[in-house]
Amino acid sequence: MTKGVQTALRKGVVDMLPLSFAVLPWGILFGSIAVQRGFSWFEAQMFSALIFGGAVQIVTVELIADNVSLLTILFTAFVISSRHFLYGLSLRERLSPQPLKWRLGLGFLLTDELFAVSGHRRAYQGRLRLFYALAAGGSFYLAWNLWTFIGIVAGASLPDLTDLGLDFAIAATFIALVIPSIKTLATLVACLAGATAAVVFQLWQFELGLVCAALIGMSAGYVVSKMRGAA
Amino acid sequence: MTLVTIVLLACVTFTTRYLFLEGRLPVRLSSNFKQFLSFSGPAVLSAIFVPILLVHDHQLDLSLQNPYLWGGAMAVAAGYRTGSVYWTVGLGTLVFVLVGYVF
Repeated sequence: MTKGVQTALRKGVVDMLPLSFAVLPWGILFGSIAVQRGFSWFEAQMFSALIFGGAVQIVTVELIADNVSLLTILFTAFVISSRHFLYGLSLRERLSPQPLKWRLGLGFLLTDELFAVSGHRRAYQGRLRLFYALAAGGSFYLAWNLWTFIGIVAGASLPDLTDLGLDFAIAATFIALVIPSIKTLATLVACLAGATAAVVFQLWQFELGLVCAALIGMSAGYVVSKMRGAA
Repeated sequence: MTLVTIVLLACVTFTTRYLFLEGRLPVRLSSNFKQFLSFSGPAVLSAIFVPILLVHDHQLDLSLQNPYLWGGAMAVAAGYRTGSVYWTVGLGTLVFVLVGYVF
């Protein structure tokens, strides 16, 4: 392994570290819910190892335990997961020319968190940046599975940690990634519109809220950039 | 049976992530659409972090006792001034913890 690759791998892990720790309460919550709802430890771990999606797991583990029909379970997972289409589309130009093993690997690891650290204008271009993304996504995967495992082992004996405020770390990291990227009025409008819509949808508890809010923000940014381009 | 369901769910999440990374999928992105997509990063991240700051227990929390609001404001200011992830997360979290401790 060359020194360059090592540096890229280390930077990927370090950049992801705040997000890896921020999801600890949810990983533990998921593991303990799964065991309490009667799943074996192996099944519970397989949720995190194969599905690898916090919201999808926490919702579907309850649906399966309640014997909801398979079609409903799959459709619910599809709705919650649909925002990833947006990430795939955004990264298509950079990732679709890459070899299959990179596409499959990074595609599997493409969570909100990996997309968040993919904002660099040269992201995924060149071997080192692919290794960087692999380390960021891969370390997040290992962390999520470790937190799940702790939740499985601890079961009901740990208190609910989700109100400890660790989600602030997600907000702070995303702020750190977004604010320096706001260089034009159009980007600022995209952020404000997306954020406002997301707050309203969250209050309505609308399942497709995140993806709709993102589309509203993107449309607003696009319209402003067109208007300014025409002026 | 549960394992079959888990594998099917994994297929659903993987498909939503991988589909558009497949080059053979006959989708051409026009330059207008690419411009639209260029706003996806900032729009998605804002749509995730702002509700974390403002919405708790399905209610809008704009009170001055909300530590998320203070910590978030500090992080925005630090991000704007320094452009550094470490300063932004560090100062934001410091204010978040201090305000949470006071109230």
